Amino acid sequence: MADSIYHEMKKEGVSRRDFLKFCGLVAGAIGLEALPPVAGFHDVAAKNEQPLVEWVAQALESKPRLPVIWLEFQDCAGCTEALTRSQSPTLVDLVLNKITVEYHETLSAAAGFQVEGAKQMAMKKYAGQYILVVEGSISTADDGVYCTVGGRSSLDLLKEAAAGAAAIIATGNCSAFGGLPRAKPNPTGALGVAEIITDKPVVNIPGCPAIPEAFTGTLAHFLVFGSLPELDHLLRPKTFYGVTVHDRCLRRPFYEAGKFAASFDDEGARKGWCLYKLGCKGPTTYNACASMKWSGGLSFPIQSGHPCLGCSEPNFWDGGGFYQGQSAPLQRSNLTQVGIAAATGVALGAGVGIANARRRKKPVHSTEPEKKE
Amino acid sequence: MDWNKILEFARGPFFNVALLVFVAGMVYRLVRVVSLGWSPDRVPARGSKAKGVALSFLKGILIWPFIPWVKGTFKRNPIIYLAGGLFHLGLFVVIILGTPHMLVWKSLLGIGWPTLPLPIVDWLAAGAIVAMIILAINRVINPVLKLISGPAEWLNLLFVFLPMVTGYMMTHHLFFRYEVLYSLHMLAVDVMLIWIPVSRISHFMFYFFSKAIHGADFGKRAVTP
Repeated sequence: MADSIYHEMKKEGVSRRDFLKFCGLVAGAIGLEALPPVAGFHDVAAKNEQPLVEWVAQALESKPRLPVIWLEFQDCAGCTEALTRSQSPTLVDLVLNKITVEYHETLSAAAGFQVEGAKQMAMKKYAGQYILVVEGSISTADDGVYCTVGGRSSLDLLKEAAAGAAAIIATGNCSAFGGLPRAKPNPTGALGVAEIITDKPVVNIPGCPAIPEAFTGTLAHFLVFGSLPELDHLLRPKTFYGVTVHDRCLRRPFYEAGKFAASFDDEGARKGWCLYKLGCKGPTTYNACASMKWSGGLSFPIQSGHPCLGCSEPNFWDGGGFYQGQSAPLQRSNLTQVGIAAATGVALGAGVGIANARRRKKPVHSTEPEKKE
Repeated sequence: MDWNKILEFARGPFFNVALLVFVAGMVYRLVRVVSLGWSPDRVPARGSKAKGVALSFLKGILIWPFIPWVKGTFKRNPIIYLAGGLFHLGLFVVIILGTPHMLVWKSLLGIGWPTLPLPIVDWLAAGAIVAMIILAINRVINPVLKLISGPAEWLNLLFVFLPMVTGYMMTHHLFFRYEVLYSLHMLAVDVMLIWIPVSRISHFMFYFFSKAIHGADFGKRAVTP
């Protein structure tokens, strides 16, 4: 049995006090207010009434490090960038050191056959135990020729790695729902992970990029409880994707008051009014941006003056213009279409009118003598 | 069920088609009504027709909100008169002066306008919904109305009620997720748009015709409408 995470940390000179602090941070990262409904844990928790931090500490003291294999397909590495530049160093530390990243194309120092070989070894060694993280969509059109790594298609690589995974985390909109590569007309036949892998637990952490804390929180949840957190119908953890951006938005009072910025440089924009009229997709976007924010809680798009694009929702790229109000229709008829519709109406009206007039001619003749004045 | 797909359909192609059907249908009705023409006027007019028309419209616009009690309809059944008025006022404010609806107009017409704060629109929407319920109850218990109410009348009520209720629930995030309610709202609106030309909801256009014709008749006879 490999050393537990606590033992590894102890070896690195981390004190018990610092370890418990770290556990508190992890509990926070999971987004735990109370113990989640995880089989086994809940009953014990109800009896013992242990503080959450102790649960986390117990888990980290008894569990070995978590092997992770990270695959990148049709992506921009933005989710990795966001994670490595996250302003919560201890959380990145958690992901990059306390779990074992066995394979990661962007972060690996090694390259070529050696690193592919290392991946194969890791998949064998940790079969059934590792977490597979997928970043980027999977190309399925034309036998997947549009995205290959080491001469093999993304579809092939995903299926191979998924076979031995304990669970799959799809980070970013691309791997969750197909993302930008899937935008119309979707030339590469891009799909999200959950549409391809149906026999393994998949959790989606959509976003463009995914909020690093949402990713690490989900991973920490798996580390502590050995299972995935509670998911919504789009397989997103409810902890982070339970409410809309609109619901937690700092500009929400202005929405209620009917105070809107009408352009990016008018008085309303300078006063920080609601960006709904500028196309904000906050009301239909489920994500934690407004509450967790970015860069260590510094800001998020709406706070910085830009409407939400809805990047944690499927097909956000094709969901109408970014700067078009959300209530506006997705398709608009051009004048020709409206003209054709109106002309159809005129033709129908005239046709029916003429037909009726012809039919009426005879009876009018016969009823004329009965007319009284 | 993937509600995002349903929403995309209801906001996209379905709405577009419904709008075109609405335009074609209303133009058809308009052509049919206009082609009826004025009935021949063989009697010399005793008063000004134009004045009668102007007066008729002025009364229609001013009496309800300001002095409803001068009308017999109001005296006989004030609750129904007020419910009808409140419903129309709420509907007008919601679809013209509600921000999300103004953005729909803006995307269709290319021009936008200032809107009212949400709480005001919200209360009027709630008022309109309550008014609709009162009117529906009245239709059930009033013997004369019951007699002249066929399936079309009930469908009128239903097809207007559904967009109102789903819109209200959507604003307040009641019972279902936002995109579910948004989808239901748009589907209800689409169905209503297709229904309007074949139903009496088309009175939003023909009201002005009948007001003009009645006004001209009153003016001709030199009586106050």
